[in-house]
Amino acid sequence: MNEALMISNALLWVAVLAALIGLFALARQIGVLYERVAPMGALMIDTGPKVGEAAPSFELPTLTGNARVRIGGAADKSTLLFFLSPTCPVCKKLLPILRSVNDTERSWLRVVLASDGEQPEHLAFYEKADLKQFPYLLSQDLGIGFQVGKLPYAVLMDEHGRITAKGLINSREQLESLFTAKELGVASVQDFIDHQHDHQRA
Amino acid sequence: MDALLIDPVLARACGSALAVILLLGAWQKLRDVAVFEAAVELYRLLPDRVVPLFARLFPMLEAAAGAALLFESSRGLGLLLALSVLGVSTGGVLINLLRGHTDIECGCGGADGNTRLSWALPVRNAVLMALAVAGAQAGLARPLVWVDFISVAGGTLALLGIYAAGNQLLANHPRLMQLRNGS
Repeated sequence: MNEALMISNALLWVAVLAALIGLFALARQIGVLYERVAPMGALMIDTGPKVGEAAPSFELPTLTGNARVRIGGAADKSTLLFFLSPTCPVCKKLLPILRSVNDTERSWLRVVLASDGEQPEHLAFYEKADLKQFPYLLSQDLGIGFQVGKLPYAVLMDEHGRITAKGLINSREQLESLFTAKELGVASVQDFIDHQHDHQRA
Repeated sequence: MDALLIDPVLARACGSALAVILLLGAWQKLRDVAVFEAAVELYRLLPDRVVPLFARLFPMLEAAAGAALLFESSRGLGLLLALSVLGVSTGGVLINLLRGHTDIECGCGGADGNTRLSWALPVRNAVLMALAVAGAQAGLARPLVWVDFISVAGGTLALLGIYAAGNQLLANHPRLMQLRNGS
């Protein structure tokens, strides 16, 4: 009798844990599903203007209102359009990295910050984080134009206004991979690796 | 008095599950201190100069609480640390909930670091505090047999599974709301 109870007990533990793993997996999948069908359009590499296509054109005033910035179309430098928000901790972590990129890549690259929301909140953020060296755009249309669903998100455009790389950015490595992708002429480094695998398989 | 004593299997399962939760939480924060620092700043509770210190001290205390809960000799200290760590974070969340400043990331572990402030967080933390209190009990003195160890292991894993699934649902919730209101 005792032995039977022990066996049933052990079996039940296995069943409980398996059911919990299933529950967690389902919750995760539902999370991914929500993200994909969100009204803003989701973060998928294949939504919004594609890599290689011309970027949508915008001409917008900066946050401080003392200049206008053109996005898209031919320019004398490449443009890194960086979407952020004052309430996004990862964005904040990347600001020093953006500053150093802005300094070292100055010869060929212009870094533009973009966000949307209420102006006072963004002005406070702009002052506090000391972002004076960057043009800062506040426009909902910009985010919709590039189909930005998740932050921080970056779009790299070449001097002809074509998108050369884009993606969600969580670290310095991911930011640098955009530049690598531009040099290699692929949509993203992941894309490049995938292609290599395809070649090897073929 | 005996009514207050709980079975040692339950006590150990609660204690070790909470210890794992605290240790993982601390590791998550320390792995990317800059992000946690920014999250602390967004709570708008501490002066700017204190934020970096707090962002480093808090996860270390969290880790100490988790580690101390695991051993019999330091269980009392572990309970104290765990309750203060959970108390401080719950206090921070409550203040921001009361002043309606909820559109920030909780910085409290959770799934994908995507969890927004909501009333579910204090509830979750209250459950964790209950786990801490239960886990710090010595429990009824009774001879333990090997089945008890299976029960402790199973109970610990089950609690962790429930916690992970609950956190994921918390992270999903704002997206569900966005979907309901947006379309």
